[in-house]
Parts: sequence; structure tokens; C-alpha cells
Amino acid sequence: MNIEKRRKLESFIALLLSTLAAVFGLLWLVFILGDVLVHGIGALKLSLFLNDPTPPGVTGGGLRNAFVGQLLITVFATLIGVPVGVLGGTFLAEYARGTKIARIISILSDIMVSVPSIVIGTFIYAILVKPVGHFNGWAGAVALAVIMIPVVLRTTEDMLSLVPWTLREAAFALGSPYYKVIIQVVYRGAATGILTGILLSIARVAGETAPLLFTSFNNAFFSVDMKGPISSLTVSIFQYAMGPYDEWHMQAWAASFVITVFVLLLTILGRLIIKWRYR
Amino acid sequence: MPILQKKNPVDFSFSLITALASFTVVLLIGGILAVLVRESSLSIQKFGIIKFLVSTDWNPVTESFGAATTVYGTFVTTVIALVIAIPAALGIAIFITEISPNFLKGPIGIAIELLAAIPSIIYGMWGLFTLAPIMAKYVEPALQKSIGKLPVAGMLFQGTPMGIDLLTASVILSIMIIPFTASISRDAFNLTPAVVKESAYAIGATKWEVVKNVVIPYSKLGVFGGIALSLGRALGETMAVAFVLGNKHEIATSLLDAAATITVTLANEFTEADTDMYLSSLFYLALVLFVLSFIVLAIAKFFLLKAERKYSR
Repeated sequence: MNIEKRRKLESFIALLLSTLAAVFGLLWLVFILGDVLVHGIGALKLSLFLNDPTPPGVTGGGLRNAFVGQLLITVFATLIGVPVGVLGGTFLAEYARGTKIARIISILSDIMVSVPSIVIGTFIYAILVKPVGHFNGWAGAVALAVIMIPVVLRTTEDMLSLVPWTLREAAFALGSPYYKVIIQVVYRGAATGILTGILLSIARVAGETAPLLFTSFNNAFFSVDMKGPISSLTVSIFQYAMGPYDEWHMQAWAASFVITVFVLLLTILGRLIIKWRYR
Repeated sequence: MPILQKKNPVDFSFSLITALASFTVVLLIGGILAVLVRESSLSIQKFGIIKFLVSTDWNPVTESFGAATTVYGTFVTTVIALVIAIPAALGIAIFITEISPNFLKGPIGIAIELLAAIPSIIYGMWGLFTLAPIMAKYVEPALQKSIGKLPVAGMLFQGTPMGIDLLTASVILSIMIIPFTASISRDAFNLTPAVVKESAYAIGATKWEVVKNVVIPYSKLGVFGGIALSLGRALGETMAVAFVLGNKHEIATSLLDAAATITVTLANEFTEADTDMYLSSLFYLALVLFVLSFIVLAIAKFFLLKAERKYSR
């Protein structure tokens, strides 16, 4: 075989392998999503949303407590995490733009985004559960907020940086102070971007389990009391999937289906908004 | 532009509030480190640093604790996951940037990113109910029949294939980190200037030669960054492996043995720790994990920043 043919063959084989790798990657997506879909839809019942858990063996139980608990924890996490994240991002992109401090905080946030979430769980346990003496919903909300802050902060910083500097200068020229420029001009220009960042960060924390294991813990009963242990979908999935009962497994699949659909829809929505707004 | 605006009182307060908000990140990182050190001080005093890291003991009854088994489990699952994930991820990145027709690029990119967005608990549960039985029934016996017959490599596949073991956990972990590595590598590949690639094509290089000799060398910093980032993620992943690892504190010589990682131990034992020394040792494990992943992530960030600086020049 001459050298040209060999080079062509080599190229063909390498490209074929890359294509196979792409198929391999997509196959898992189809496999996992398909599995969750098939098992999840099969197990989806109205009673899942309307009833509270029943003792093992008694049919007709649901996860109403977990849905409500998850909602409470996520909403409070968003209420704590988003303002801190947005304001922090504002500082980095506006008042501290181009300074060394902004650069360092920005890098630290990037690292913080990937810090193991279970470590954050242990940290919150030490400061919010141990002193109180019992697991509580607030600790869970704060743990998720801690995960949210760096995500929102970084997207806000990026989105504010995309607003052209001349726009600010135009507002300065009219004599407005910087805070008015930020709130009335810059935020307005970056609103869609910031909102997308918030959506994606909610998608990120809605599926978190590890930081809730030792903060909000779990609760077999319906509870909206954030001062006590509160149930969440993800922790319930963990408990039910590890449990011995088929009924529990079915409910775990159904809950997984709901949470996967929620997270993926938020993610797709976020991507669509970015695409529609910035390209 | 001065950082804190002193002229206008409202502006001053607003700049102060935003400054405080952004400093929470620094406070949180410092706070996590300080709190973990404080909580684990009991265990640090008793076991020291080196002794804790090399001791394979993990016995709540005699209160003798060491991190070696869990660090080993973390290390093994991460390494195998990377061995599976890196070639697949690079293949995906090459496919998206160089091979795929334009109309497929977007959808495949989105599909890969969706894979990254699926919560880890879903991976874990899917692993327990779907992947583990498949591994136990088909993949592991097949591996035992082929590689398991070889003299040295065969050691890795001894034991009864149960599906709840290091191998299954590593496979799930690899599926989880493929998207991270793939999307960062794709972004890095995309930054190779078209002119450089075209000049290689002009002297008659094949597509693979362009990828191998132009695109990959040009973007290797970004790819290293992506790999280090995935490594950091894999070290700290909890729920995806918690279901299928078995939480057994032993140094497993076979990939078909149950094992424990730092994260799995924390998830399983944290709420059960009944003595101060037990809890303190678990905090110590969390501290080890925090420091380890912080270092890996900092290295990842270093590579990515270097890559960014190179391309922006």
C-alpha cells in the first residue's frame, strides 16, 4: 500500500472512531432518558401528587409532602441566592470592573461552582443544624442558596459585561449617578441574560440531593414548617430507590421523571432564550 | 472609576452592598475551610494528617479512623471514569467541530449539554435499576471470560459479578463527565483559526492530520482545562455513585468488589454518626475532599485562563 492510501485510510478510521464516540455519547442520553420516561410515565398517577406517603404495604401513597417540601426549599433558596448573586455580579462587572479584586473573586466563584455539593452539605450541617439540634428546612434552603450564589454571580457578571460601555457613558453624560445608570440602563439591557442565568441556576439546584441529606433531611409526613425537617423529592428518591419495596421503586421512578422533565425544560428554555437574544 | 462611590450617598450605599454581596463568595470558601477544620479538630488531634491518610482502618466501634480506603475508592473510580470518558469526549468534540454537517452541530451540542443537566440522582437510580443488572449479567461475565483469563490483568476482574462494584460506579461516573469534557474541548477546538487549518489542508493534509497536528496542539491548554475540570467534578460526585458502590471500607483489588469513596461514606454515614470522634472523622474526610477538589479545580482554572489569554492575543 502506498503512503497516500495509508494516510487516507488512517484518516478514515480516526474519523469513524470519532463518529462512533459521538454516537456512544448520544446513546447514553437516549438510554437514560428513555428509561426514565418509560418507567416514569408507567408509574405516574394522580395519587402521587395528592396523597402523602403511606406505610409500606398500604397502597395509594404519594409524595405530596415531597413536592411541597421541594418547592419550599427551592423557592427560599432562590430568594436568598439570587439577590446576593445578582448584586455580587454587579460589583464585579461595574464598580470593580477591571480590578484585581474582581478578577480574584471571579476566579474563586468559578472554582466554587464545582466544589462538591456534599461538602457544602457538611458545612451547613455544622453551622445551621448542629447548633439548633435538629435538621431543618432553612438549612436545606441555605445549602442550595450557597450552590446558587456563584452560578448567578458569574452569569450576571458576564451578562452585564456584554452591555456596551458607550450606553453607560450616554447615561453618565445626562448627569445620572452610577447606581441609577446600573439600575435603569444596564440592568434593563441585560435583563434577559440575567433571567436566563437565574433559570439555569434553579435547574442546577432543583436536582441536588447531596447537600439536602444532612440539612433538610426527610420527613414522612406533610410539613410546611421550615424550622423542622422537611421532605424533598430528591432525598425521597434516594430513600425510596434504596428501599426494598416495589411500590417505593415505582414512586421513585415517577418522581425522577417529574424532576428530570422539570430540569430539562428549564435548561432548554434557558438555552433558547440565550439563542434568541444573543445571536 | 473608583470602586466605592463616595460623592453620592445612595451610590455609596449601593456600591457597598454589591461589594459585600460579592465578598460572600470569599467568605463562603474561607468559612467552609475554617468550619471543616474546627469540626474535624478532634480527629486531626488524634490521628494526625499522614497517619489519617494512610490508615486503612474505618471502625466506628473501636473509634479508629483512617481515610486510605475511601481516598483509594475515590481515586480508582475517578481514574477509570476518566479513562473511559476522555477518548469518548474528544471523539465527540472532533465530530461536532470537524465532521458533522452544519445542521447537526447545534442539536448534538444541545443533546450533550442536556446529558450534563440531568441531576446526578437520576444517574444514580438509573445505575442501580438498569445499568447494574446489565453489568452483572452480561458485561462483567464477558470481561471475566476475556481479560479475566490473562495472568496479571485478570486480577482486576476476580470475584462474583454483582453489578454493585467499582466498575459499575466508574461507568456511571464516566457518562456523567463526558459532557463536561466534550463541551469544553469543543469550545477549545472551535477557537483554532480557520486560516491555520486551511493552510494545513492546502499542503495536502488529510482531515485527521489536521485534527492531530493542528487543532489538538493548538487547543491543548483548553482541553487540559476541560479534563481537569471533569476530574474535579468526578472527585466530588456523590449521588451517581452512592447507589452502586456498596460503601465497603476495604482496599479492593478487583474492580468487581464493592468499595467506598469519600462522598459515598459521607452520604451513608453522616446522619448515623453517634459519637463525637466518628462525626469529627467524617468532617475530616469532607475536609480532605474539599482541599483535594479545590486544588484540582484551581489547576483546571489555571489551564483555562492560560488558554483564554493565548487565544485572545
